[in-house]
Amino acid sequence: MRRKLIVALLFGLILTSLALAQIKRPEELTFPPLKFEPPDPRQFRLSLTQGLRAYLQEDHSLPLVNLQAIIHCGDLYVPKDKTGLGSLFQQTLIKGGTKTREGSVVEDRLDFLGASLNFMMGERTSILSLSILSKDLEEGLELFFDVLMNPEFREESLKIAKGRMIEQLKTANDAPSAVLSREYERLLYGEHPLTYQPTKATIDALKREDLKAFHGQYFFPRNIILAAAGDFTKKSLIDRINKYVSRWANRSLTFPSIPKSFPEVEPGVYFIQKKINQGYVSIGHLGLEDTNPDYFAVQVMNFILGGGSFTSRITSKVRSDEGLAYNTGSRFSYRWGFPGTFSGYVQTKSSTVAYAISLILKEFDRIRQELVSDAEMETAINYYLESFSNFFSSPIATMANFAELEMQGKPWDYYKTYRDKIRNVTKEKVLEVAKKYIHPEKMVIMIVGDWEPCNQGDAKFPGPLSKLGQVHEITLRDPLTGEPIK
Amino acid sequence: MKRCFIILSAVLFLFTLVHAGEFQLDVKEYQLANGLKLLMVPRPGVPRVVCHIYYKVGSINERPGITGIAHVHEHMMFKGTKIMGVTDYEADHGLNQKIDELMKKIYREKYWKKNGDTHQIAAWEKEVEQLLKEEKKYIIKDHLWETYMKHGGTGLNASTSDEVTGYYVTLPSNKVELQMMLEADRMINAYFREFYSEKDVVMEERRLSENSPGYLFNEQVRAAFFIGSPYHWNVIGWMDDLKKMTKEDLVDFHNRYYVPNNAVAIYVGDFDAKMIISLAEKYFGPIPRGQDIEPIRTSVPAQNCEKRIYGEGPAPPQIAIWFHIPPEGDPDTYPLSLLASILSGDTGRLYKSLIKEKDMASMVSAFSRPQWYAGSFVVSARPKTEKGLKPDDLEAHLWEELEKVKKEGVTAEELQKAKNRYEASFIMSLQSPTGIASRFGRAELHRGWRSLQADLEALKKVTSDDIKAAATKYFVRNNSLTAIYRRSFGR
Repeated sequence: MRRKLIVALLFGLILTSLALAQIKRPEELTFPPLKFEPPDPRQFRLSLTQGLRAYLQEDHSLPLVNLQAIIHCGDLYVPKDKTGLGSLFQQTLIKGGTKTREGSVVEDRLDFLGASLNFMMGERTSILSLSILSKDLEEGLELFFDVLMNPEFREESLKIAKGRMIEQLKTANDAPSAVLSREYERLLYGEHPLTYQPTKATIDALKREDLKAFHGQYFFPRNIILAAAGDFTKKSLIDRINKYVSRWANRSLTFPSIPKSFPEVEPGVYFIQKKINQGYVSIGHLGLEDTNPDYFAVQVMNFILGGGSFTSRITSKVRSDEGLAYNTGSRFSYRWGFPGTFSGYVQTKSSTVAYAISLILKEFDRIRQELVSDAEMETAINYYLESFSNFFSSPIATMANFAELEMQGKPWDYYKTYRDKIRNVTKEKVLEVAKKYIHPEKMVIMIVGDWEPCNQGDAKFPGPLSKLGQVHEITLRDPLTGEPIK
Repeated sequence: MKRCFIILSAVLFLFTLVHAGEFQLDVKEYQLANGLKLLMVPRPGVPRVVCHIYYKVGSINERPGITGIAHVHEHMMFKGTKIMGVTDYEADHGLNQKIDELMKKIYREKYWKKNGDTHQIAAWEKEVEQLLKEEKKYIIKDHLWETYMKHGGTGLNASTSDEVTGYYVTLPSNKVELQMMLEADRMINAYFREFYSEKDVVMEERRLSENSPGYLFNEQVRAAFFIGSPYHWNVIGWMDDLKKMTKEDLVDFHNRYYVPNNAVAIYVGDFDAKMIISLAEKYFGPIPRGQDIEPIRTSVPAQNCEKRIYGEGPAPPQIAIWFHIPPEGDPDTYPLSLLASILSGDTGRLYKSLIKEKDMASMVSAFSRPQWYAGSFVVSARPKTEKGLKPDDLEAHLWEELEKVKKEGVTAEELQKAKNRYEASFIMSLQSPTGIASRFGRAELHRGWRSLQADLEALKKVTSDDIKAAATKYFVRNNSLTAIYRRSFGR
C-alpha cells in the first residue's frame, strides 16, 4: 500500500516537473486561469430582534469566535464644549463596568478566559469587538452584551482615564509626524468638528452623566450592525443574540448636522519649527469622498502618481533615483460623508527639503499635463484586479466589510461591480481626474522641521523656501490649554 | 527519488491545550537536496497564498564596523539581479565596475585619511555622477516590485530583525510560480545596483528613527545593557558604519548568508502542496548548497554590578528596569514569560498597584524577551506628572512588586490566567495566514517549528515555585540596568 502511494506521488511529481518548461524571465510565465467571484452580502445578512442587523458566517477551522458590534456613533457627534468625550468614552465603556458588574470583574474574567474585548471610537462609527475561544462563547456573549447595553461609567474609571488623557495631551507636540498630520488637517478643515482638540479644561469638565447620555443617545439596536464569524452554529448564535436584545428598546435619533463648508486656505508654505534633523512635509489640499463616481479613476491615477509604492512616480523619483527619503508618495484619504485630504508627502534631511518638494510638485504638474503610459495603466489596473480577493481575506474581515458597506449606505453590488469600474478607467480619464482633483495653485506646503537648514536648502535647490510660496509660520498650541505657545 | 519521499512529510500538528481543548493544524514539510526547507500550511478558501522566505541572518551576524549591513542588504535585494531590473546586463555591469572602482578611491580618500584631497574627491564624484546618468538607460526601475504588484501582490515587503531577514508577498493562488522564480533569482543572481543612493535612503530611515521621541536614549540603553553580544546595536546600525559601508562588504555578506541551506520558504493559503514542491525543485533546486554557517559566537558575561543610565529628551518621562535572562528554550524562560503576563496588562499586578491603588503612574508594562542567544526582562512605568512625580519616584514601587514575587510567588488563579492567555493568544495568532508564516518560518530557523508546541507544553507545567525561583535568580541588582528618562524639550 505504502509502496503504491510512493510511486503515485513520485509519478505526480515527475509529471508536474516535466510540465514546467525552463523559463528564465517572469514575462515568459503563463498562469492557469483563476476565477473568483466575490460573496454576496445579502447571503449573510440577517434581521434580528428589535431591528438589529447582522452579518454572520460560520467558520470551523479554529476553535474561536470573533464578534463585532458596529455602532453609528463617533467623535464627530461630540459637541464642541465636550471635546474629549469620545476618547473618555472609549477608555471607560469597558473599564467603567455595567449595572451588575464592576469593570475589573469584566476585564478579569475575560482575561482569565484568554479572550479580548476592545472598544474603539472612530469619526462616525465605533466598534466593540470580542475574540474568544468558542467553548467560552456563552459567557463571552453575556459580557459583550452587558457592556454594550448597560455601561455604568463608574467614577474610578473616569478618574484613571482622565489622568491618562492629560498625560497623553502632554505628548501631543512630541512626534513630528503627529504634529504634521494634526496641523495639516487643522489648516485644511479650519475650526470644525473634524479638528477639535481636547484641552485639560474640557477633559476636567466631562462628567459621568455626559457619557451615559451619549450612550443613551446612540446605542440601541437599530443603530447597530453586528458582524460575526467563527466556530458557532448560526441558529444557536441568533437565538442567544435575540435573547439579549429583545429587552433593548429602540429610540429615535436625529444626528447632529455637521457643516460641509471649509475655509479657503491661502496657498503657500506653512512652517512649524522643531529642532530635528529632517523636514516632515505634506503638500496638498482637500480631496473628495469615496462615493464620488470619479473615485475609481482617482485611485488608479494616484497609484501611478504616488500611491503605488515603488511603481509610482514620486517614490521612484524621490526615493529610488535620488535617495532623498525613506517615506515618500502621495495619498488621497477618505472619510465617510466628508471630503478627505490629498497630500504628497516626504520626510528628508533638512538640506534637501526644498529639493524634494520641488520634485513632488513637478510630478503633480506632469500627471495633470500628459497622458500616463500604457505600461503604468497596465500595472495599476492589474494590481487592483488581481488583488481584489484580498477584501475577503478572512471571514470576520468579510463580514465587517459588509456591515460597514450597509452602515455607510453603499450599494449591495459594490464589490460585484468593483472590478468593472476599475477596468473601465482609461488614460484619458486619469488625465481628466488629475486635472479635476489636483490643484497646484491651491496647494499648501506644510513643513515640520528646523527653519535655518531647511530654508538654506542645498546645491540642487538653494533656498529660501519662499521660492515655493509665501511663508507662514505656525505657532504650536500648548496642548493643555489650547493657547499658542509663547 | 526515494530520498524525496522520505523527507516529504505531512504532519497533522495536534495541539492539546488545557484550556482550549484539541485542534489540528496541517503542516507539510519538505527539504531540498541543497538544504532549503519548505513548510506548507494549506488553508483552502480565498484563492490567495502567503509566500514568505526567511533567511537565518540579521543584525546579530554583523560586527562593529559593518553594523546595519543586514538591513542595507535587505534593501538592496530589491535592486535587481543579473536578470531583473536591467535591459543589458553586460553593458550595465561594465558601468558598475567603473562606478565601484571610483567609489573605492573616494572612500579611501574620505575615510582612510584624516585630510583627504577634497578636490580629487569632487572630481571623482563628478565622474561617478556621469556614469550613474549613463547607467540609467539600462536600469528597469524597481522591476521586481512592479512585477509582483501587477500580478496582484499584496503584503509586499521585507524586514530585518536581530536574528532573521524575511521577504514577503501574498499572491493569487495561480501565481505562486512567480514568487519561486523571483526569489530563487535574487538568492543566486542578486546584483546590487544603485547601492550608493540606497544607502542614502537607509540613512534617511535612521534619521526618521532618531526623530522618534525617545529613540536615541533607548538605543543607548540597549547598548549599555548588551555588552559582549551583537544585540548591542540596533538593526538599523550606527550612522558612521552606514556611511562607510562598501559594496564589497555587501557582496561578502550576501555570499555567506544567502544560501539555500540557510533559508526556509513557507506557504500558507489555498494551494496544492505537490505543485509547490515541484516548483521549488525547479527554481530553488539548482542553486548549490552553501558552506555550513557557524552559529554566532556570543556571550553575555555576568554583570556583577548594578548599571544605571540617565537621559532626557522630548518624550514622556519613564523608568525601565532591565534584567538579563537566558535565551529561548532555557527552562527558566517559561516561568519568566508567565510572570511578565501576570505583571502586565490592565488586569496585571503593576496596573493594579501603581495606577489603580497608588495613583502614581499613567502607564506600566512588563515583558520577557528571551531572544535566540541573550534575553531581557523589562519592567517599566511612566510617572503621573500631574502629581509632580518623577520617574525615580517609581523605582522602589517597581522593586516592591518584584520582591513580592520573590517572596510569595503568584496565586493559582494568576498562574492559570497567564497560561490561558498564552494558549488563547497562540490560537488567535493562527487566524492570520501571515501570522502563521511569520511564526512558523522564524521558529524553523532556530529551534524548529515543533518548538512552538514544545514551548506550550513546557508552559503548562510551570508552578508558582518555578516563578518564585526564577524571580529570585534574575531580579537582583547586580543583574540589572535601571534607565531613567526625563522630559526636556529640544535636543
